[in-house]
Amino acid sequence: MTFEIVVMWVALTFYAAATAMYAFGVTFSKDTLTKWALAASAAGLGFQVVSLGIRWARVGHGPYLGFYEVANALVLCVVAFFVVVAWRNPRLSATGIAVMPIAVLLLGGSMLASKSGIAITAKLASYWLFVHVAFANMAFAAFAVSFGCAVVYVVRQRSASGKWVKRFEKLPAQDVLENLMVRFVLVGFFFWAIMIATGAIWANEAWGSYWTWDPIETWSLIVWLIYAVFLHVRYTLKWHGERLAWFAIAAMPLALFALIGIPLAFNTTHAGIGGLGKDL
Amino acid sequence: MIRAALRRVGRLLASARLATLLLAFIGTWSVVATLVPQGGDSEPLVAAWASAHPLIEPVARVLGLHQAFAAPVLTVCILALAVSTALCAWQRTKAAISRGRALRGALAAEKQGLAARHDLEIACDPDLSEPEVLSIASETLRRLGIKTKPQDDVIMAVSPAWSAWGSPVFHWALFALIVVLLLGNLSRSSGLMGVAVGQSKIDQPGSYGLVSAGPLRDWPGVQRTIRVDALDLHFKTGGVDRGPTPTVSVLDAQGKVLKSQRVYPNNTLNVGSLTIYPADYGLTATVSLVDTSGVEAGRSVQFVDFYAKADSGTAPVGFLKVSDAAGNAELRVYVSVPLDRVAGGLAGRLPTTPAARVLVTSLDDAPVVDQVLHPGEELALPTGSRLRLIDLGYYARLQVVSDPSIPALYAGLIVAMIGLGVAAFARQQIVSATVMTAPDGAKLAVRLRLWRNAASSRSEIETELTRALSGVEKGSTT
Repeated sequence: MTFEIVVMWVALTFYAAATAMYAFGVTFSKDTLTKWALAASAAGLGFQVVSLGIRWARVGHGPYLGFYEVANALVLCVVAFFVVVAWRNPRLSATGIAVMPIAVLLLGGSMLASKSGIAITAKLASYWLFVHVAFANMAFAAFAVSFGCAVVYVVRQRSASGKWVKRFEKLPAQDVLENLMVRFVLVGFFFWAIMIATGAIWANEAWGSYWTWDPIETWSLIVWLIYAVFLHVRYTLKWHGERLAWFAIAAMPLALFALIGIPLAFNTTHAGIGGLGKDL
Repeated sequence: MIRAALRRVGRLLASARLATLLLAFIGTWSVVATLVPQGGDSEPLVAAWASAHPLIEPVARVLGLHQAFAAPVLTVCILALAVSTALCAWQRTKAAISRGRALRGALAAEKQGLAARHDLEIACDPDLSEPEVLSIASETLRRLGIKTKPQDDVIMAVSPAWSAWGSPVFHWALFALIVVLLLGNLSRSSGLMGVAVGQSKIDQPGSYGLVSAGPLRDWPGVQRTIRVDALDLHFKTGGVDRGPTPTVSVLDAQGKVLKSQRVYPNNTLNVGSLTIYPADYGLTATVSLVDTSGVEAGRSVQFVDFYAKADSGTAPVGFLKVSDAAGNAELRVYVSVPLDRVAGGLAGRLPTTPAARVLVTSLDDAPVVDQVLHPGEELALPTGSRLRLIDLGYYARLQVVSDPSIPALYAGLIVAMIGLGVAAFARQQIVSATVMTAPDGAKLAVRLRLWRNAASSRSEIETELTRALSGVEKGSTT
């Protein structure tokens, strides 16, 4: 096992510890544990950055190619986004109970994948690669945090005994949490739109057509349309509360599927991100 | 009557519910389209799916699901969505104008006006002075993510007027993008053109092997010639092998070179609306027909593609017709090039010893002559004339796209992203507060408008200010 992989296992351990601390901290109303959970998330992030930095230097490109790198980059962005949000607004730290398990599962899954480096091909050798992938990751990070807000919202809303209301009492009020959930969706929607736009421009440069209805292009559009429906029902049809939260909960896995599931399930020109498709 | 009906249709198209339903339908349609194989009836995947799903197939066929993204159902929905987006953008523009006015007006708020017209009234601890109340209120709001500025006796956090324009700009840009995409498809052409190295072709439909063009594509309007000057099989730059890389020139009607460059992925040649990409490459065999008197009657360049399933590793792209003196076709000539064998298969390049296999058949494809020729060698045809192999070489298959809508498309995307960025990040809010003295003690008068992206909510602001100022909230006015 190389040093790079050992460091990544350390990062995963920190994320798993953070998840456990969030679970115990929130369930038993231990504020100190919740604070430590955020610190553990940040520490894990540091180790992950180091591991990916070593890999970047070794393979000569950023974490764009293969399931290991793609899932890793997604986790990096999710945790970084969450840590920044929780650091700037400590009241949101408890949403880590829903966000950190995503990071653990995704990073854990990537650790089982092949870790050999994939070389950059002629079609991938473009600065658009960085821009396109970076916005995809940032969009998913925003959707994941909105998912965390939505899960916490629903749990608190459905707590008939009031126990979970007390456990989540440090969180902002439900209406504020709902606003934040919508804001994160809006931010993710914006980043996702940039991801699609830069992808179209890049495809025009690399493949000769800005849109070919490739499965991953189509699913990117589908996810964007789903979140467009979310924003429409929120802003124009005035949906509020639990059903809006359920919408955010249901939409996030679709975004994840579009990013890492489609290349596994379909023959796509985006095979480089970890699928079984034709060419890069 | 007609006017009333039109008004009803207008109201329907402008409704948020319809826009939401259209978005949901297009999304669902796209999901289904990824589950059903796309293509014509001749596509093996479509045929296999049809025989595997005999019950669903008729429905899929009627709905046009095998060509889902060109289906009339989807086109109608996209057109309806375009109209709906335009109407929505118009409504949002009106809202932005009035909101912008409100935001500008709020900046000029002064103590008397705020005392007379506000949304919350919060009773303050009598021991607190007016500056102390404002300071505590400002600090409380800051903790809630609302940064206020003092202005005379008022604290305020008012968003700039431009913050209201994100959504309308985004919707107008989306509408423009849909229109540009539709017009672009009507005026666009995209096709594959094979050009032998050292030769050129005029950009017209006959020069393409495969081409699809919209009805508004202006073929005769612009006379351009595409020339392939060279082909480098392994062009390397930036440490990356760019693959077979042709050097392509585009010339105008007078033969003047407009642009010339190496063409490889991410380095396309752009001249006006024309964009040229490398699609593939193959071999060429130049042959000539020599008549009975020994005079060369004509030359032809035959394209030969790499084809792993063929023994020789190549297959002819087409055939050459040989006619008699009266011009009646008598024979067909097929040319292929046997490739060199290397470890792991056949070499995708000209053989070390150049040679071509020439197969001459009758019109019903019965072999007449089958011979391997080297450059300069000839074979005798039953017509009395002779076929001479002049040379072997390469050709580049270029994907040539003419799309005048691309610059407008990119501009639309940029404007849409700016609008969406403003809508996503800019707050639209008015929070202003001042202290008013009343017979029952000092009160904080607060004006609140939290339209979009607010850091807090009305109830939270009310609760936190009440708690911080240790007063009992007396209810709202205005």
